[in-house]
Formats: sequence, structure tokens, C-alpha cells
Amino acid sequence: MVYIPPLNFAPVVSTEVSLYRSGYPMPLNYHFIADQLHLKTVIYVGDKDISEDYKEFLDSQGIRYEFVHVESCRDANINTQMNQVLRKVLDKKNYPILIHSNKGKHRVGVVVGIIRKLFQGWSTTGIYQEYGIFSGGLKGEVDLEFITMFDTQLVVRRDGVPDFVKLPSDGGDYREFDGRNKP
Amino acid sequence: MEPDFDDEDDHIYINEETELGRGNVLVSHAPKQRIVPPLNFCPVERYLYRSGQPSPVNFQFLLDLQLKTIIWLANEEPQDTLLEFCDSHAIQLQFATINPDGGEDDNPWDGLTEHSIIAALQTIVNAENYPLLVCCGMGRHRTGTVIGCLRRIMGWNLASVSEEYRRFAGSRGGRILVELLIEAFDTQLVEIDRVKAPQWLLQDAQ
Repeated sequence: MVYIPPLNFAPVVSTEVSLYRSGYPMPLNYHFIADQLHLKTVIYVGDKDISEDYKEFLDSQGIRYEFVHVESCRDANINTQMNQVLRKVLDKKNYPILIHSNKGKHRVGVVVGIIRKLFQGWSTTGIYQEYGIFSGGLKGEVDLEFITMFDTQLVVRRDGVPDFVKLPSDGGDYREFDGRNKP
Repeated sequence: MEPDFDDEDDHIYINEETELGRGNVLVSHAPKQRIVPPLNFCPVERYLYRSGQPSPVNFQFLLDLQLKTIIWLANEEPQDTLLEFCDSHAIQLQFATINPDGGEDDNPWDGLTEHSIIAALQTIVNAENYPLLVCCGMGRHRTGTVIGCLRRIMGWNLASVSEEYRRFAGSRGGRILVELLIEAFDTQLVEIDRVKAPQWLLQDAQ
């Protein structure tokens, strides 16, 4: 049996949890996804309605499908949409997760860039380089600008946060939140 | 900016905790300490990574990976700083010489020999060596060759293997010789000990 991973497929985090990125999965990729990834959640950042065969496949595998409507990082409600994705990523019980867009270049590139910056503390050059590897050298200045400027304020359950996310005890710049000390 | 509480399924859960005043954490801007990934860094599989040659600016990043082994794909030794780094953090540095018989006549742009590909892969198919980083000068062609052959062992179709290789090969694109090497590689030459193999490798062999 030959495995055909989706376009632009790669692990983003591959430690105690698995977070993957890719383009839109096609029927010829289903065998690979079912056999190799054992996904619990798929997050689609894009603008298309789910196809019938894709929905059937996800249902048959018991994979939860999260649709986050994003046209580009210039969308009016992009911060809300991005927070919706980040919230899923910050909860261990959603893993293994595959985040995909259509071609796995720009929209996923922005999500991954923000994860690298906010959760892992990657340098800007490292983030830009990774974006470039998957976008095939296309510069995407607007996307990179967005990653650089993006900031958030998310309150989440501490014990749900996966280990790869840097929290206060390991030198991250985060504060305990008790519902009263408004940031 | 007001904190964004989850307004969906986790709502009740979070409110409970807010009342208790414990158990929640505010996630906002980036950690103060920035880490710099090596050139062309990318995860390959669980606890397996690829990159170009790490330099001192990348050492904090490497420490976070808690590496046990680094496979260095070149005839010449890596920079002294990397040797010292591996030494002081008990990281096993494995040289997979391109062409052990080549001696002085060897060119840095030569491809890997079958011998060196197998040597690197024997280390990769043994989970005792993990977490593991495979690297060469730029993290493009030699690393790409080894990872490409690994993908073939994993049962990936050839077009997908090439897509992955080219992604890291830079603006001048992939080398046809590397792709031919990957295609011609006899995957049976790598002995996989099922007891020691990483879990993700065994899923295919079943």
C-alpha cells in the first residue's frame, strides 16, 4: 500500500502532542490520514463549504471538524477567527490536530507563524523562513506583517495546555488569571 | 483588549474555575526569551527533526528539543562550537560521512553514498536515539536524501517524497540526482528491529 500525504503536509509540533499542517485533503489522501495520523480534530481555515466525501470520511473516522471561516488575514473579524483556532490548539484534549487551508501555504502559514511566536517564542526570522518554505518562496508580506503584529488575550485552563506551549514556570511571559485581575 | 472568554462549549467549565480563582492562565504576548531555529528547521516525525548546521545562536532552541542524537551528514567536521555544545550536553554526534573512501578528493557538493544513507537510517529507525536531529550544511540536499529514503521506507509515494524534498531545496530547486538516488534506494537494506523502532514506523510495516 502506498501512502499519499496531503499537499504541503508536515508536522508542526511532534512531541507529546501531534499538530500537523497541510493543504485540503483529497480522497487519495484519506488512507494516509486514517492510517498514519489518528486525528481527533481537523481545523479548516478557509472559505469553502465542506465536500460531501470529505465529510463522510471525517465522520467515519470519528474526527471532529472545525470550520473557521477565513478569506485572508485582511478579514474584518480575523482576530476573533484566529483566537478560535488558538483556543483549540491550547487544549490537549483536541489532539492530534490537523490544521489545513486549501493549498497549505498562506492561511495555514499565518496560523503556524502565530503559534511559533506566541506559544514557542520563535524569532521573527525563523518564522519568516518557515513561512517561505511552505509558500514556495512567495513573500506574502501582508501575512508576515500580520503575524508580527498579532497579539491576543486568551484565558484558558492551565492543565489543558500542551507542554510545547511556554507558560510562566518555564520562562514565558504569562500571568495567572483569577477572573478579577483584569489585564 | 478585554480577555476573550470561550463562549462555546467550555463556558461553564471556565466560569467554575474563575470563581475558584485558580487553574486558569492568561495567554497573551510572546515569551520574553526568543529562540532561533536553525536554517531550514522542520519536524519530520515525533521527536525527529531536520535542519541545516546549527550555530551558537540556535543552541537555546536545540536545548528545548532535548536532543539525544545529532546526525551530521558531511565529510568535514562541524564547527567547533557545535562539537563543544554536543559534548557539554551529552548529545551523541554521529558522523555519516558522505564517502568514507573519498579522502581528500571528496567534494562537498557530492551526493551521499548508499553506505552513508544506510548508516544514517539505521540510527533513525532506532527509537533509543531519540529525540534526534538530522542535519547537513544547509539542510537541503543531503538531509533531504536521508529523509526522502526514510519516507520511502514509510511507504510514501514518490511524488510526495519529491514534493517534500523540493520544498527544502531552496529557490534553485531540487537536484535530479538526489531524486534519482531516493527513487533507486533499496529500502530492504535498512534493518528494522521492531522492538526498537519508533511507533510511527511500525504502523506501515503491519
